[in-house]
Amino acid sequence: MIYADKNTGVIVCGATGNQGSFHIDRMNQYARSIGGRGVVAGVTPGKGGQEVHGVPVYNSILEAAEAQNATAAVLFVPGSSAGDSIMEAADAGLDLVVTITEHIPVHDVMQAVTYAQMRDCTVIGPNCPGLFSPGEISMGIMPAHLATRGPVGVISRSGTLTYEVVHELTRAGIGQSSIIGIGGDPIIGQTFADALERFAEDPLTKAVVILGELGGNLEEEGARSAELPVVAFIAGTTAPAEKRMGHAGAIVTGGEGDANAKIARLRDLGVPVADRLSEIPAMIRGGNLNVNH
Amino acid sequence: MKLKEYEAKDILQKAGIPIPRGVLVKKGSDYLVSPDIKEAAIKAQVEVKEAAIKAQVEVAGRGKAGGILMADHAGIRDTTEKLFQTTIKGLPVEEILIEEKLQIQHEYYLSITIDRSQKAPVILFTTEGGVDIEEIAQKNPAAIRKATVYPLLSKVPGYTLRYLLNGSPKEIGAIIQKLYSVFMSQDALLAEINPLVMTPDGLFAADAKLILDDNALARHGIQENRDLSERERQAAAHGFSFVELNGNIGVIGNGAGLTMATVDLINRMGGRPANFLDVGGGADRVRVAHAVRLLGSMPDVTVIIVNLLGGITRCDEVAAGIIEAGVSQQIIVRLAGTNEAEGKALLSSKGYRMLDTMEEAVTAAVEAAS
Repeated sequence: MIYADKNTGVIVCGATGNQGSFHIDRMNQYARSIGGRGVVAGVTPGKGGQEVHGVPVYNSILEAAEAQNATAAVLFVPGSSAGDSIMEAADAGLDLVVTITEHIPVHDVMQAVTYAQMRDCTVIGPNCPGLFSPGEISMGIMPAHLATRGPVGVISRSGTLTYEVVHELTRAGIGQSSIIGIGGDPIIGQTFADALERFAEDPLTKAVVILGELGGNLEEEGARSAELPVVAFIAGTTAPAEKRMGHAGAIVTGGEGDANAKIARLRDLGVPVADRLSEIPAMIRGGNLNVNH
Repeated sequence: MKLKEYEAKDILQKAGIPIPRGVLVKKGSDYLVSPDIKEAAIKAQVEVKEAAIKAQVEVAGRGKAGGILMADHAGIRDTTEKLFQTTIKGLPVEEILIEEKLQIQHEYYLSITIDRSQKAPVILFTTEGGVDIEEIAQKNPAAIRKATVYPLLSKVPGYTLRYLLNGSPKEIGAIIQKLYSVFMSQDALLAEINPLVMTPDGLFAADAKLILDDNALARHGIQENRDLSERERQAAAHGFSFVELNGNIGVIGNGAGLTMATVDLINRMGGRPANFLDVGGGADRVRVAHAVRLLGSMPDVTVIIVNLLGGITRCDEVAAGIIEAGVSQQIIVRLAGTNEAEGKALLSSKGYRMLDTMEEAVTAAVEAAS
């Protein structure tokens, strides 16, 4: 388990919105089922004093953090103001901000992520499903019932692809330590390399699945520095060039980021890459792992 | 969204970067767009001895594809007419920029983009301008100077400019500074001047490219993303990402990665996907119904596969949307996640084919489509 645990007090920004309110309820249902603190405060400017599913709402992150002793936040705010919320969270002294929001202008992300780093605040996302550690904490939108506790870490650029793999792992009897959606945008806070570094320090985690896609080179960068055994899957091997495949970051530009080239580079680094998602559990279990890469 | 050359140049000029004198003409407008431009045109025609006639189409390698013609003063009109009659890589020429030909002493390349790994703007500069940067990168990578700028700085630091210029005329430093401010203030993903031309009268941006962030268009007063096809535009209006492919299996997924993996798996199993459609996070009944109808309206689609894992998406909403759409094609559904049981029950009650795993669903869709 990495980034957060049972004792982490969580703030939800955009608490009174549709998605914010729906997921406060779900996150707290999970927290109650495992005896964690869960979401202890909500933030929506101008709606301080209200309650959402029994959780008190504040006007600012600083107020919420001080009143409820919270150290982490999950953002469900609109794209146009999400960069601002990341900086507000960093300024309020939070350790961790998980940004679910998609369609944030990339310049906003670039500045907010840099600002947060300056304030020692870890940013996960944006455009991600968040963080889920079975038996410890749900900080985001991952369906809890798919996961089960165990030795495999999962890091992914895509939300639903993550659920698919977690579902496959669980069905195969392989549990997960932490599942991290790092996000599908061109610029993100935590990268594969950052999350792999955290997993390397986690006693529970024995191997990590990385789920990448076309665009950029963060997968290779992560694999190069990985200390734990890694299995990879890369989506977008049959995507047309120069077309944006849903995620802002999933585009091949100027010949960079092609999914097949990425797979070849990962294999050159000694990382087993699954052709199909369904092969992943067998690769984890079957000793196909090249631990000496 | 890609801006056209003249739009990009207009923004550069407002930021203080010199551009060649010129005039924009539109097809069928008897040359002249507005009274202002008419005056400018007359002036340009009088003063310009030789002109570059440039089709305003967004294609790579426009010059090589015949999109830029040269003409002397007397031949400007005929050459322009001729260019209006052609297509450039299949695109019709609707607008032409007529510019004075510059007296080139040297051509430089300058661009600013985003370095995804460094999470910062990156400036590329080389004294070997006038050709594609990819070409320079292949032939003479050492000629390219590259520097990132800390994103919270409002200006490019002097030492970075000195590094980039490496002895080139220091007036270029001022152009870099101005292009950086355009890049930051316009939410650009790419700001490029190629070539940046040195003439006896100083520096000019002879060609310019600006690509704006689609997620920031509203902030800059742009209502519509011109880069999208008609069907992609419809799709975007309903809140999903859509890319047309050429097959007969319609694909609906939630989440870009899962949808991409579904398209990949169909290809791997020998099927032909007709599209990529990500209904997005938190898709409700109405959006799902629109998605199914959109694919239902594609003439080549014989089977539709709906592969959804609910996170922020609720399965019961999805099921209701599929039923509501009521299209004639066979629909193969795979649903798992939030409110899964309710979604499954709803679909079964209406006789839809539901499968438990993505591989089973893709197998069934490929079989049904062949």
